[in-house]
Amino acid sequence: MPGLTSEPDDLAMVPVSLETENQPVVNYPLRHGLKSPIHRLSFSWACGNTLRVSVFRKPQSETADGEGEAGGRVVEVKLSNSGDEEVDAARWRRMAYSSVTPFALLQSRKHSLSAASRMSLDIPPYKAEWWEHVIEYSKEISSLLSDQKPPPKSIIEDAKSVVNEIAAPVCLKAAWELLEIFYIDKQSQSWIPERLLDWLADYNSLFSGTLPTIHSKLVDFQQELVGVQVVEDDPNYWDAMSSALAVGWLETVVKLLRLHGSYRFDQLSSREAVYLFYRVPKSITLCVFCLRDLTTGCTAMSDDKVDFLVLFVSHCSSLASKNGLVEAVAVLISKMPRMRPSLREDNLGECYKTKPDFMKAWEKWRTQISKLDCSSYWLQCDHRQTREGLKNLIQIMLGNPTVLSNATFNWMELFISHFLYVRPFTAGLESMHNSAKKCMQVKPASIPHKLFGLILGILGENTEVVLAECSRSFGPWMMAHAVELLTAGSTHAEILLHEEHSKLGGVSIEELHRLVYAQVLSSHALTWQIAPIYLTSCIKQGIRLLENLLYKQPVQHSQILLKSIEICRLYELDTINSNIMRIAGVHHWKHGRKGSGVFWLQQARDEFRLNRIAKQLFDFVGKSVSDEGFKQWEGLIELLGSESRTAGGLEFLNKYRDFRRSLLQVHGDTPTDAARNAAEALVSLMKNPSTPQRFWLPLLYDSLKLLMWQERPLVNVSQTQLLLNKLQELSMARLRPDFVEADLPSDALSSVRLALATNLGRAILEE
Amino acid sequence: MDKAIIKLEEGTTCTAWNYSGHRLAAGSTDGTLFVFDSTDPASSVFSGSSKFKVHESSIVKVVWAPPEYGDVVACICADGSLLLWEEVVEDSELLQWKLCKCFDRISSLVLDVQFGVSQTSLKLVAAYSDGQVKVFELLDPFELKNWQLQAEFQNVIESVSKFGNVSCRSASIAWNPLKGEIQQSSFVLGFDSDTPHLNSSKVWEFDQDHQRWLPVAELALPADKADPVSTVAWAPNIGRPYELIAVATCKEIALWHVGSNPDSDGRLSVEKVAMLSTHDSEVWQMEWDMSGMTLATTGSDGVVRLWQCNLNGVWHEQATLQPTS
Repeated sequence: MPGLTSEPDDLAMVPVSLETENQPVVNYPLRHGLKSPIHRLSFSWACGNTLRVSVFRKPQSETADGEGEAGGRVVEVKLSNSGDEEVDAARWRRMAYSSVTPFALLQSRKHSLSAASRMSLDIPPYKAEWWEHVIEYSKEISSLLSDQKPPPKSIIEDAKSVVNEIAAPVCLKAAWELLEIFYIDKQSQSWIPERLLDWLADYNSLFSGTLPTIHSKLVDFQQELVGVQVVEDDPNYWDAMSSALAVGWLETVVKLLRLHGSYRFDQLSSREAVYLFYRVPKSITLCVFCLRDLTTGCTAMSDDKVDFLVLFVSHCSSLASKNGLVEAVAVLISKMPRMRPSLREDNLGECYKTKPDFMKAWEKWRTQISKLDCSSYWLQCDHRQTREGLKNLIQIMLGNPTVLSNATFNWMELFISHFLYVRPFTAGLESMHNSAKKCMQVKPASIPHKLFGLILGILGENTEVVLAECSRSFGPWMMAHAVELLTAGSTHAEILLHEEHSKLGGVSIEELHRLVYAQVLSSHALTWQIAPIYLTSCIKQGIRLLENLLYKQPVQHSQILLKSIEICRLYELDTINSNIMRIAGVHHWKHGRKGSGVFWLQQARDEFRLNRIAKQLFDFVGKSVSDEGFKQWEGLIELLGSESRTAGGLEFLNKYRDFRRSLLQVHGDTPTDAARNAAEALVSLMKNPSTPQRFWLPLLYDSLKLLMWQERPLVNVSQTQLLLNKLQELSMARLRPDFVEADLPSDALSSVRLALATNLGRAILEE
Repeated sequence: MDKAIIKLEEGTTCTAWNYSGHRLAAGSTDGTLFVFDSTDPASSVFSGSSKFKVHESSIVKVVWAPPEYGDVVACICADGSLLLWEEVVEDSELLQWKLCKCFDRISSLVLDVQFGVSQTSLKLVAAYSDGQVKVFELLDPFELKNWQLQAEFQNVIESVSKFGNVSCRSASIAWNPLKGEIQQSSFVLGFDSDTPHLNSSKVWEFDQDHQRWLPVAELALPADKADPVSTVAWAPNIGRPYELIAVATCKEIALWHVGSNPDSDGRLSVEKVAMLSTHDSEVWQMEWDMSGMTLATTGSDGVVRLWQCNLNGVWHEQATLQPTS
């Protein structure tokens, strides 16, 4: 369908850019599967960023072709996914869960440090400590971004394997590392170019999908290499080496050089070779062997010996010229000075920690290269491809811009090659940015990669661009977590991210990103539980959003109810806690689980509803109910208990329950004591002002057997008079229009009156 | 990212999701209500759980009551009647849907209805085709048949004489979605009628002291007051110092900031902050997401549009959801 994007990007759209009004509207398809024309739509937001759209078909009378088709469909649209299409849902959830702990730990450390330093983390001792925490956080997040394992190392190394395949590299990790390099890792500030070089070595393959890269070139060449007999005759062999050298993959170049035909007669052991090197230096062949062992073993070779080698090669005899040149170049490559504290495993070069040492070594190295370049011996090398190929490698090392440009495929590679060979002493973001811009002019990218945008933003020291690129390309997870790196690493970023925006209701960008991420988490039943961690780190608007989130949980599921309550208790959200328990209570009550209903309403301290329930229980009063019914009723009274004292009428119900219970125990043959207890309970009930008038007659009617107790009167004179008075009062009340007649036999009143009168007579006689 | 989750029956006219998005009620032309449930809260798999005849005429709108009152739906039918149905277990019977209230219909039709929770009671605002607004109150939370008429008024801001012979095509009500113990109940209401004074959206607030409903704000510029309002939506407020309300008229979707402190006349300050193009179509529905940062709209153009605000406070269309088979 024209105008529709086939792969919808992430829509966790945060307005970080100031230019959003000019951005095109994103189109999302809403695949409903109905064949007939659509009549109308309606929608509803579900939790988080999920939208549910009801698509209604035109009624059948209006359209003939919709025979037998559904009346419509409800389509669920998740507007925010992981934010990175290369990460699948399960993996994304794993990542979301594992990043919670580092994030929460950092937040708690921030709180305690802020408290200790009285709100300012800029004071030196706190700043240093904070820095340590951020570095630790960054490393932890970075480590969880890739669960890749290093490829198993084969015992017999494949000599023709030049490219290491990284298992499923992710842009997210590449982006995170970039931020770490430029914002957090202050120790590496002096050797940023080298870190970028490492970074490109790790992630060059990421660009292969959209751009030509050296990585893809090497992969192609490696496949070709299996079938090649005389490798040095293949122009691709030399091209691959110059490309790898241009971006500083020295070990790859040296490994490839070893495949050169001049090494084919290697027979001597390394010990002999070393020995021969010192004893018989004029034997060219032996010298080559020896050097090879020395270089591959990475044993220290003094500069004197390199000088000697260059000199030696320049004067060696024609027979072995080729071998000597190849080895000389290999040695020079492996001796390249590097401005960094240490090398990674298997990497070649010589490290220099300080700039003066590095500069000195660099000058010397370049002089050695120049010497070799100017050697007249090149004329005697009869293998044209070798001669030209090696010359090309030398030109790269000498920083020839044209050769560098030819050897690289995109501006990023050219940019790195410039660091290595053209401006090795580049420092500062501004000069790096200028260099990057120049490289982009030379090699403009037709399809800009999302990581390029980020690099340019960082080099240009433009926090807005960095934020916009992160948000657009790497989604809400990145934004919520990376903000800590930006604020720690740049004052400008800190101001920008912590500034409160009145146009957005007083929220800062930092908080906004966390809110957005929390909404993404809220969209899924398996991740909503971690959203509170992020929401509670938002002072301004997080708590309310958390309340909204909790309110939307389906609390009729007990697991969800318990989880919600746990969250409420943890963050002291009492109002919403009561609300959740109230919803659960009402749900259970209405579904016939009265006990659970009362329990949860009590937990919610909902006196209002408990009162109403108590009132419903009044309906039992005076009714002849089955034993089962009474037990249920009794259970509810028990549950309502004495805890909710304010629940009006509960006092009466409790008393009534006691009375009813003792009355049930009274039979014809019951001892008089038990009957007397029941009579006492009756009198107490009738005396009590909380006993509603409408129950007076039913109570007395129920107690007829007590009032007419055979053995002796159970109610004394004054008590009987009290009961008679109540009866009189009742007769007066019957005259009022709002009087509700109890559901009793018509002779109930006269029976009670007669019983009371008889009892009075007997009581008087007894007294 | 889109996935069809429910197949609706032939003749379905409207749908409504409950508070948690785990139940869907769908009304149909023959007055039957279908209820779909998800059994597992972690999945988007739904199945029909109930089907019952609500009324003789077509259901045009279904609204769920707040969950604090159980599983209750209000159904507005094409003949203008308003019925409340509740899912409940009564007298040891099985769980089933029961009619708990059928509001008396005199001569006018019910156009819209919305529930609002106040401190102690459930309130129900209904807007009628004769321009009347009625607020009902539920006194006993377990007795959904006992509603008391709390107030009846017309949607006018000045206390002028009552307008007679009013005819309204539609009305839209939105309660302030804020949940909390201190918040006053308030709602916004707009009409599409032949009486200009009734049309513009007004915010109504309950005056606890005098036990009456008062208009506290009017969301229309003087020139636009007569514009018929098709729908309104009140954004959840998670910490803004002002309220945000969307009002759709025939011309545009306007976004309003409404202040929280009344002036000496008891009126709230209002500011129109954005005008969003309706693309020459009628807007039928608007809804804010749970954070109140994204507004979704749909209407006669048959697409869902999502709107957001950037850091400069400029509102823009962010995305469109276009139906495709």
